[in-house]
Amino acid sequence: MAHFDTEYQRLETSYNDSPPGEENLLVHVPEGTKSQWHHIENLDLFFQRIYNMHQKNGFTCMLLGELFELVQLVFVVAFTVFLANCVDYDILFANKFVNHTDSSKVTLPDAFLPVDVCSARIRDNVAVIFILVISGVFWLHRLIKFMYNICCYWEIRSFYNNALKMSMAELPYFTWQEVQARIVEIQKEHQICIHKKELSELDIYHRILRFKNYMVAMVNKSLLPVRSRLPLLGDWVFYTRGLKYNFELIFFWGPGSLFENEWSLKTEYKRGGNRLELADRLSSRILWIGVANLLLCPVILVWQVLYAFFSYTEVIKREPGSLGARCWSLYGRCYLRHFNELDHELMSRLSKGYKASSKYMNCFMSPLLTVVAKNVAFFAGSLLAVLIALTIYDEDVLSVEHVLTSITLLGVCVTVCRSFIPDKHMVFCPEQLLKVILAHIHYMPDHWQGNAHRYETRDEFSQLFQYKAVFILEELLSPVITPFILIFCLRRKSLEIIDFFRNFTVEVVGVGDTCSFAQMDVRQHGHPAWMSAGKTEASIYQQAEDGKTELSLMHFAITNPHWQPPRESTHFISQLKEKVHREAAVGHQGAVADSHAFTSIHSLQSEEPRSLIANLLVGPPPLGSLHLGRDGTLANHVSVGLSDGAPSLRSLSPLSGSLHLRSSYPSSRLHRPDHPSGSASRTMAGSGTDARTVSSGSSAWEGQLTSLVLSEYASTEMSIHAVYIHELHKQQSRGELSRHTWHRQESDESSESAIDDCEAPRNLPRSNTFPFTATPHQEGAALQSSGQRRYGGTTDALSGATRGQRSARVPMGGWVEEIQSGRHHDPVPEEGSEDELPPQIHKVA
Amino acid sequence: MNCRSEVLEVSVEGRQVDEAMLALLHTILLHRSTGKFHYKKEGTYSIGTVGTQDIDCDFIDFTFVRVSSEELDRVIRKAVGEFKDALSNTGSDGMGQISLEFYQKKKSRWPFSDECIPWEVWSIKVNVVNLANEQERQICREKVGEKLGEKVINIVEVINRHEYLPKMPTQSEVDNVFDTSLKDVQPYLHKITFQITDSLGTSVSTTMRRLIKDTLAL
Repeated sequence: MAHFDTEYQRLETSYNDSPPGEENLLVHVPEGTKSQWHHIENLDLFFQRIYNMHQKNGFTCMLLGELFELVQLVFVVAFTVFLANCVDYDILFANKFVNHTDSSKVTLPDAFLPVDVCSARIRDNVAVIFILVISGVFWLHRLIKFMYNICCYWEIRSFYNNALKMSMAELPYFTWQEVQARIVEIQKEHQICIHKKELSELDIYHRILRFKNYMVAMVNKSLLPVRSRLPLLGDWVFYTRGLKYNFELIFFWGPGSLFENEWSLKTEYKRGGNRLELADRLSSRILWIGVANLLLCPVILVWQVLYAFFSYTEVIKREPGSLGARCWSLYGRCYLRHFNELDHELMSRLSKGYKASSKYMNCFMSPLLTVVAKNVAFFAGSLLAVLIALTIYDEDVLSVEHVLTSITLLGVCVTVCRSFIPDKHMVFCPEQLLKVILAHIHYMPDHWQGNAHRYETRDEFSQLFQYKAVFILEELLSPVITPFILIFCLRRKSLEIIDFFRNFTVEVVGVGDTCSFAQMDVRQHGHPAWMSAGKTEASIYQQAEDGKTELSLMHFAITNPHWQPPRESTHFISQLKEKVHREAAVGHQGAVADSHAFTSIHSLQSEEPRSLIANLLVGPPPLGSLHLGRDGTLANHVSVGLSDGAPSLRSLSPLSGSLHLRSSYPSSRLHRPDHPSGSASRTMAGSGTDARTVSSGSSAWEGQLTSLVLSEYASTEMSIHAVYIHELHKQQSRGELSRHTWHRQESDESSESAIDDCEAPRNLPRSNTFPFTATPHQEGAALQSSGQRRYGGTTDALSGATRGQRSARVPMGGWVEEIQSGRHHDPVPEEGSEDELPPQIHKVA
Repeated sequence: MNCRSEVLEVSVEGRQVDEAMLALLHTILLHRSTGKFHYKKEGTYSIGTVGTQDIDCDFIDFTFVRVSSEELDRVIRKAVGEFKDALSNTGSDGMGQISLEFYQKKKSRWPFSDECIPWEVWSIKVNVVNLANEQERQICREKVGEKLGEKVINIVEVINRHEYLPKMPTQSEVDNVFDTSLKDVQPYLHKITFQITDSLGTSVSTTMRRLIKDTLAL
């Protein structure tokens, strides 16, 4: 190699001694690293920890919680061993007598074996030693993890304190949206992510929920073998924490998983070339993990049993009814979760739907069981009464052997029987209940609508909303069943899984590999039957089922009003919002019957016209839990509708049930003159961009409250949109089937008949003895739509859906024209129209 | 993940490997080096000078510019030499990747060692071709030269973008950002690693480390 020295040479000597004009030397000032928060290596973990810390209310709470968990673990093991080995049950059961000198009373310490006997028994028992060793190892693992977590979270704590300027004491007062807003601010200054100058909300969500989004998508595309058809039990969903853990182990982080690290899929999985080989590899890995599960099964089983015993016995003793209570199943949580929905958002949504859901489930009483239960209760009750009466007469009855036991058992028996006997005063109105549930849970198979009173629907709903007892039982069975599901069901799907990860992974700059569904791109994953007809270019394989893309997009846009969606999505959102508002306005007029939203909502009490929202929120009066119209003045405010921000806010918010907060919150603050007028109502109206002006313009506390109220607001708005989208979807798929009847219905233009037609089948409150007959029309529609859902893979269904869309427009024609003319008057451009919504409503009204 | 990664691909003949690698690595380092910092009181510093040198390649029609620092050159030559040896050991169809990773150190508390957080990784994928006769070698000589020229322009384009660079450190932190061991030039902290044949997966040690971390972070 030849070297050629240029003239630009380093000054060899004495250049650091000051040359003649030292003051002219270029002198730099180091920027230094003022904070340690620039350029964080693992942003995924970092954001997750920030979120966790926020959800667990700060460092101290977290620390204590984890510490107690450790202590609990020791306690469970120690106590079990003690009970098994160190208690002389003969003494306890008085089969053996203690020879006390002073008194005849048997004390608890008498029943304990002496220490040396006890330890000898433990030493001799191999199984106990085995359990002790296993749990010791497990405990040590937890301890190390705990130490490690302390160190990590200490760092997060200082990040909160120094960078986000939130002290741990006030952390519980901030909503996640506020924390997130601060993180976005921080990025500009500290550059925690080096790829971009600015972080968006979606980036943060993507990182926190990267794997959860994959799971949601896989459940959505029914890729995971959680459903099975059993010979006796019928359609059965089995999805437990153990199974979930194994799935995550296999896909995301276990040794040899598909992911290279938290943020990137291994490159070979991104290429289609050797998919068969990769599938083979995956399936053998699943086999090994399944076998490992099988081998560890006894250990896990013992642990599960012990854990369940100690955590639930106390609860069951305290309130035996809690076993009969229901909870959202793990599968339900996956099925109902939007893409990019954080845990707390999901939980609050589901909790709001809880009441209605359990009411719905309680509607169903088997008449047969009722008869049996009534009689069993009668006999058991009479026995019980006699025993109690005898006891009252002379308490010595109690000391007769097994009398106390029988009294307890009979009591339990009567309680159980009573739970099968329906309340006489209950009204059965499943359709409406289901509608209310839908407003909160946002997802529902098509064939439920119109079939709410059928047992099939109830059974399917119970897959999402199961008995707590069933939940515990499944958890207990999980160690045994999980290996078999892995080995026999999941393994068969390995090729599909490989394909799924290849097809639905996109690399986003600054985020890494994410599930493409989580981009919520209507164009790529929209479903033509769910409002994105014409916009979507997705093949059947790419479409998210159940309108997940569309609803997720709406949900994310509403919960994060500052987020700037891509152009396509913005268009979709604004179009949808506009539609909803239009319907709301039309509904406000109280004269139009063929609007979708209106047919969807039962309580159109035409003598007292209310806005769409009011109708939605009031729900059917029998529900009672939603007490909007309780106060006459409120109802009036509602009828004023969207145009007035604060009152409608006040009247809307009872839905979310934290009355206490709102009553302490003077509504006058919301529409102070110095704020842009009715900013709250504008968020409602969907522009949402001014939410910040509210919080920034006010004192800390006020901003706090406002953001809380706004988030409640957002959830209400989302409910409205969810119901609307579902309704539209239903009409589309129904329109396809019964186009002719529809035409006929609409052609006579009489609004009352239309109402009657749509409302009559649903409006009737049914008692539980009401014969289950659905109108063939409804049945057909439901069948059709469910068929479309199931066999969505055919082009026929696709064309059907688009045809449905077209035909559904026909009845809408009338008011579409009307609105167009209405908009014609309105010079406000489309984008701004949301901001100017209140006046627009007035105009239409 | 929180780091940029750039990938360059070249196909060269066996004997051109080290020159091509040197050309690319030196080009990158030329732009990622500064003169030595001389801290003064009151937290200011002045930057020393850096010389440059033109290097003509023997087996490629190409000339590149590098920082005229023998020490730096020695370090890189050593890494490239190892890479070349490893490549030639594998046999005829050599495929390999050499990567230059810029990182910064972050001090951690006692139980953990200092973290090295990469902020930019350059991966150069090399495909070694075998040529039959002298004429092809001549053509290859020119073509590789052109290719390398393109790559250099590529590199410069990337570097010209205003993207994240570690902030200029204070005196106490200078070791966390810059490699101060060389006496005539001060490049950003970097390390050169290589990998022969696009073997599947990462190395065993990283997998193990991740496994432990994952179990801890459960």
